[in-house]
Amino acid sequence: MGRLDIRDEMARNRRASFLLIVVVAAVVVGLAYTLALLFAPEYLIFVLPFSLIFIAIYTYSSYMYGDQVVLSATGAVPAEGREYVYLRDTVEGLSIAAGIPAPKPYVIRSDEMNAFATGRGPEHASVAVTTGLIQGLDRQELEGVVGHEISHVRNRDIQFMTLVAVLVGLAAILSHVILRTFRYGGMMRGRGDRRERRGGGIEVVILVVGFILAIFAPILTRLVQFAVSRRREFLADASGAELTRYPEGLASALEKITGHNRGKMDVSEAVSHLFFVDPNRSALDSLYATHPPMEERIRRLREM
Amino acid sequence: MIGGIVVIAAIIILVFVYYYNRIRILSNRIEEAWAQIDVQLKKRYDLVPNLVETVKGYAAHERGIFEKIAEARAGMISGSREGRMEASNALTGALRSLFAVAEAYPVLRAAENFKLLQEQLEGIENKIAYARQFYNSSVLAFNNLITTIPGAWFAGGRQKNAFLEVPEAEREPVRVAF
Repeated sequence: MGRLDIRDEMARNRRASFLLIVVVAAVVVGLAYTLALLFAPEYLIFVLPFSLIFIAIYTYSSYMYGDQVVLSATGAVPAEGREYVYLRDTVEGLSIAAGIPAPKPYVIRSDEMNAFATGRGPEHASVAVTTGLIQGLDRQELEGVVGHEISHVRNRDIQFMTLVAVLVGLAAILSHVILRTFRYGGMMRGRGDRRERRGGGIEVVILVVGFILAIFAPILTRLVQFAVSRRREFLADASGAELTRYPEGLASALEKITGHNRGKMDVSEAVSHLFFVDPNRSALDSLYATHPPMEERIRRLREM
Repeated sequence: MIGGIVVIAAIIILVFVYYYNRIRILSNRIEEAWAQIDVQLKKRYDLVPNLVETVKGYAAHERGIFEKIAEARAGMISGSREGRMEASNALTGALRSLFAVAEAYPVLRAAENFKLLQEQLEGIENKIAYARQFYNSSVLAFNNLITTIPGAWFAGGRQKNAFLEVPEAEREPVRVAF
């Protein structure tokens, strides 16, 4: 592990963020066209400028305030008070070792053991851990987990991952609206469609594409999210262990967490990829999991 | 022909600028890393008198320890990096024996103030260790750049920086004799 790996990772994250914004913008424009065709074909000309402005504002505010959204969505509160001294020291110490400004430490009141990092860059970052994690792990294990999160901050994963959380949420909402509209529109037509249809082939094609987009947009963005977050997790494990100089701490933390978590943390799907371990384990684990399998992560750490 | 010369000259200038900046950036990072260590050393420097006063309240007759600590602390005020690190390591050793002595005073160990100071000190010691780790990895990156080709061609006589070694004593567990 050299510095070059991390610089590669930073460049990759910037490309990924850019690509994500382009893809989400395209999806949103496509969905907006579909909505306009369905309801107000005479306003089609305004769709492109308006949806682009909307996307620009939405992306900008996700970039600026995404971390606040994520923190409040997960119920994280600042880690103040004597009981979190060790957490604060560990966060500060490991960020010194990583050569970044210290992120703000947060805690989430939950018996589940989990953690995440968010923010738009190392200068504006937060690290949150659950109270269950602080209680259940010994110091070296906690250090391992915090090291993993600090690596996400340093590798600039958090910027991309926070954008994903907020933008994926947007795509999900829009496609939900369209699907509802289709169902509603279908009912209307059943009772006799008053709207005069200009039966051009292009409109039909756009409608079909829009419909497909509406169904697949969330799935597609989710798949992108899965593919990228697995590689990131392995890299953060490795560079986290490089920070603490003790891979075994992280490995044994992973073991404890696997044994402890019931997999129900009651957080939105849109933020699940931010977490240290998947907060919502389901039966569809290996296909849908945002994280690589635990055994694989532990094995790689023990082989270091 | 002239075009070719211009292109080659441009490439050479770009490569030169890249390596010049790279060396400067890595060398600045070492300075920054040292500043991080310095911040933590200063914090510990300020904390020690409080700690000593607290212990004195319960174990005033352990003069040997207090003198050792005062001496090590005084050595940290100025000097080279290596010198200050040495003094800091001596202070670490002296503080360890202070805590070993404190073991014999249950009232002291139970004192809220003492526990708080001990916690803070532990946090600072950990941060010093991490800061030293960052310093050493910055030095490694710098040394690698200026001793390997092509970085070495642009190093312009810059010397390798020294690592901050962990003292032997710190690697061993503390032995307490009564």
